[in-house]
Amino acid sequence: MTDLQPDTQWPRWEIFKQDTEKRPYQGVGSVHAGDPDHALLTARNVFVRRPAAVSLWAVREDDILNATPEEVGTHPEVLDTPGETDTYHVGIKKTHKRSMTFVDMVESVEATGPGDALRQAREQHADALAWLVFPDSAIARTDDDPGTVESWFAPAKDKTYKQQQYYGVIGKHVGELKREGRMPRRATEEPHAGDHKVYDHPHDASPAELQTHEVQKPEVQK
Amino acid sequence: MTAPALILSDVQQAALIRKLTALADDEIILAQRGGEWTGHAPILEEDIALANIAQDELGHAGMYLELRRALDGTDADALAFTRSADEFTSSRFVELPKGDWAFTMLRQYLYDAYEALWLDAARKSTYEPLAEVANKAFREERFHLQHTALWVERLALGTPESMKRTQDALNALWPYVGQLWQPVEGEDGLIEAGLLPDLNAVKTRWEGLIVPHLTIQCGLILPPGGAAQPGRDTHTEYLAPLLDEMQSVYRAHPDTPYW
Repeated sequence: MTDLQPDTQWPRWEIFKQDTEKRPYQGVGSVHAGDPDHALLTARNVFVRRPAAVSLWAVREDDILNATPEEVGTHPEVLDTPGETDTYHVGIKKTHKRSMTFVDMVESVEATGPGDALRQAREQHADALAWLVFPDSAIARTDDDPGTVESWFAPAKDKTYKQQQYYGVIGKHVGELKREGRMPRRATEEPHAGDHKVYDHPHDASPAELQTHEVQKPEVQK
Repeated sequence: MTAPALILSDVQQAALIRKLTALADDEIILAQRGGEWTGHAPILEEDIALANIAQDELGHAGMYLELRRALDGTDADALAFTRSADEFTSSRFVELPKGDWAFTMLRQYLYDAYEALWLDAARKSTYEPLAEVANKAFREERFHLQHTALWVERLALGTPESMKRTQDALNALWPYVGQLWQPVEGEDGLIEAGLLPDLNAVKTRWEGLIVPHLTIQCGLILPPGGAAQPGRDTHTEYLAPLLDEMQSVYRAHPDTPYW
């Protein structure tokens, strides 16, 4: 590709979900959308068809300032990022653990701009892996009237919800494959069962090889 | 269960079975059309959203056919996957090919408005199992309707191209939408008995909702309507090929356990 195409994507919106009225909003991911209402509607479909929720925020990426301690170290001017005086919401990333959420909104601060809000976040949460701030005025919120809560969030309660890792890959869960010594030992290596190569399909193996070891057959699940 | 079970006459039961099946058939066919977009929608987020909507509609079909099973013991899968086009009672409106995104969103909008308002009225059904189903499904339809109303508006007020496509979709769909309101045989009796919503009243509410949205809000021109509608035994040429595809796996492997 030598021709650079203009970016035709709609703006990206970061989505923050509140599980119950007593829980903090948490960052769950992003959607592309043309406007705030559209962002919230698609966010409901993408992130809360099944998981519990009572409210969503959508915030345009342009309205969010975020930084890691390393970034503040190399670019301290980020703490001077100018903007409007407002109430700013502060989110922090606390762990590298794999999770459905990656930022917890922990508090709100009065600040003269995003840089000032980031400075305050850094002082109060020095051990965070990353800080994220945005002004209250930038938030598109779902309505909190009973009708909206009923139609946007209540149906999820009747639906089965399981974390992504509950579902194994095709055939077997990675953990089982590891225990059986069937995971590739190097990234470029084909899967082996012990010293025998494992084929995705029985026909891939030569007849001679088929006689020397058993080829995994798919199990029919009830 | 505190309320005494409603005793249905044989005539009422037969009519109710026809109505539940017609409701389910529209949902099944529209869900199949929605499902045809999976992997092909304009953006990933809408791909997921439309798949969700289609899955919800299929879920509603399942609920209607569960009500039917309680009446005559028929199996929902067998009804969905073994009947021929002649035996289906879907409307032509949901059978039409999926078209472009404007066509899909406009059809889904008109349908969601119809279904949401019908369900809203059905929540007051004297037939308790139907009132329960209506309460459950209404919540989802209300959300669908918000989503599709937004899309119709964005497309109609978008670019000249999206405006033209939305108007073309309205011109194409409008002659067919009236068949959604075609009653099944014996439906009048069930309406009088309070088991089913008054179709005319629901239709008046529907027109009061969608006509201002399409014309005032979206600037679309309503084509002339009012053409006499055939009954639900009249189908388009598109239904049989749709069923061929939809039923192929079930027909090839009728005994396969599902998960």
